[in-house]
Amino acid sequence: MSDGGGRTAGGLAGWLRGWRPAVSMASRNLRRNRVRTVLAVLGVCIGVLAVAALGIFGNVLALGADDAIGDIGTQVVVSPNNDAGVESLSDADIASIRRAVDGPAVVPLYSDSATVARQGDQTFATVYGVEEPALAYEAAEGRLPERHRQGAILGAGIAEDLDAGAGDTVEIAGSQVRVIAVLVESQTFSPVAPDDAVFLPESAFSADGYAQALVVSDSGAEARAAADAIRDEVNAREERVDLFELAALVDEINEFFDLLSTFLLGLGAISLVVAGVSILNVMLMSTVERRQEIGVMRAVGVARRDVLRVLLAEAGLIGAAGAAAGTLLTVLLVAGLVVATPAVDAALVIDPTNGYYLLLALVFGVGVGLVSGAYPAWKAANERPVEALRS
Amino acid sequence: MSEDTGSEVNGDAGRNEDPADDTIAVGDDTAAVGDDADADASDDYGVALRAVVKRYTSGGGEPVVALDDVDFAVRPGEFVAVVGPSGSGKSTLLNVLGLLDDPTAGRRLLDGTDVTNLSVAERTRARKESIGFVFQDFHLLPTLTAVENVAMPTAFDPGDAGDRAADLLARFGLGDRLDHEPSELSGGQKQRVAIARALINEPSVLLADEPTGNLDTETGESILAEFERVKAEGVAVVAVTHDPLVEEYADRVVDLTDGVMTGGLPTDGLPESEEGDDR
Repeated sequence: MSDGGGRTAGGLAGWLRGWRPAVSMASRNLRRNRVRTVLAVLGVCIGVLAVAALGIFGNVLALGADDAIGDIGTQVVVSPNNDAGVESLSDADIASIRRAVDGPAVVPLYSDSATVARQGDQTFATVYGVEEPALAYEAAEGRLPERHRQGAILGAGIAEDLDAGAGDTVEIAGSQVRVIAVLVESQTFSPVAPDDAVFLPESAFSADGYAQALVVSDSGAEARAAADAIRDEVNAREERVDLFELAALVDEINEFFDLLSTFLLGLGAISLVVAGVSILNVMLMSTVERRQEIGVMRAVGVARRDVLRVLLAEAGLIGAAGAAAGTLLTVLLVAGLVVATPAVDAALVIDPTNGYYLLLALVFGVGVGLVSGAYPAWKAANERPVEALRS
Repeated sequence: MSEDTGSEVNGDAGRNEDPADDTIAVGDDTAAVGDDADADASDDYGVALRAVVKRYTSGGGEPVVALDDVDFAVRPGEFVAVVGPSGSGKSTLLNVLGLLDDPTAGRRLLDGTDVTNLSVAERTRARKESIGFVFQDFHLLPTLTAVENVAMPTAFDPGDAGDRAADLLARFGLGDRLDHEPSELSGGQKQRVAIARALINEPSVLLADEPTGNLDTETGESILAEFERVKAEGVAVVAVTHDPLVEEYADRVVDLTDGVMTGGLPTDGLPESEEGDDR
């Protein structure tokens, strides 16, 4: 056993040792025709740049879209089904929704509209009655109470319109109410748009049922499960509620961006294939030119395997140099774009998933070199030395 | 063994008449040399051909016979010049002797070992271990320095042959040219580098194809003087040539015309062999 292991290790060491002279000879051969080598390297460089840059662009687009869409996929809005004659959601409905979803927070809302004014500015806004605002929203200013008993919470948009902050007083439907918090600007596209709304305690409403209920989940998948559970259980006997959920839409959008990324990568890959053809061409030309030299090597006793190594090392070096240069250029290009375009969020660009595209392009570049070098190398190494020397 | 064992099978069955010989692989055990079961007198030869025929089939026409029943042998320490008109088969002879090409029929022996049927990998190894080549055009690799060119046959082997290569070059008066590239060397210097390369593995046979063909007379003479030193070390030297100068230095001159060889075997101690049966 140990003997076999030793032999394997020795074989590996021998295999590696064979590459050192091969790489050394290969790099000198490449220096012989610098212009040709540089052009082949440039080809790979452009190919790698195309793959890496387009891959990263696609990824940044997808990440950006994800960011912009935000948590629209995590919220389900439950409304009474007006078509079935249900005008509002009763406490019983809310209870059965809570039973059905098991996990995500359920935030029932009263709803009305009113004129909101402050120091001469005035606007017409939706007013929601909510008991537990902290379950669904975050405060940018002030603090969201666990139980909303008094004061008003302003959406980001309306706070800006009225130039109001936490501690200010606004006039809502004629009564002065102190602002206890302003919400973070919403990333959510939903029938319940908090940016232009005002949230008051439930006690401010005298309605006999809730207008809506928000089901707030942690993920799109949880939201979808919650929506399905509500359909199954709350609407089991009677279509009491309408559901608004965007998880499915988010899936579609994500699919689209996946497709876009693949498409962009494909575009890049085409240029990499072209680069591969140029390596193939360069290697074929150079092995034809060096036919006699290779024949001499074979004649004086250099094994086919070692000739193959030298030639593969040449192609591999072209690929590696091009890939390294292309990767570096991509980094510079992307960095330049981030600096030049304020709209691009730097956080999206330094996202670790982009590194994956850099690595992918690097590996592809070296791989293209080896693959396109393989045929010329094989062909040259297998030519009979007596033929090669005759020319 | 190495992975390249795809053998070139010569579709000639008549060659394998002697089963004692055709399984011996050269290189694997140099101890087998001189221990050959087939105790014919070829043991004494560095390299020998027995009734070798080489035919080329060219594009549907009549096959060209480049070597026609050739018997040839060179002793260690003997310098043989092969002369003859162009196209008489001299290059083919060198290729067959140097294991670059296989005979169509007949047997080939190297250091007393039958090397008629070898795989590509075995032939490559046998070339590296037992044969040195010197070409008319020197055929040095332009990217390598003199010392690297000399060490090139062993570049992929374990161990560094650089010191031995440097010693060889110093022996040939090129001790101050070790790191020069071929483009920086004169023709005579290049040919000396080529001879040093041929000797890096201490071969038993040195094969030279028009070694003085591209050199002026004076340089040619100095190269031939090197050959004399090489043969003095017990190497069998075969030079194919048009150059009368080479004939002067040779111990024996062999004529090859239209593939037919005269004087292929040493005159003294001609082996009592089985050639008569083969013919």
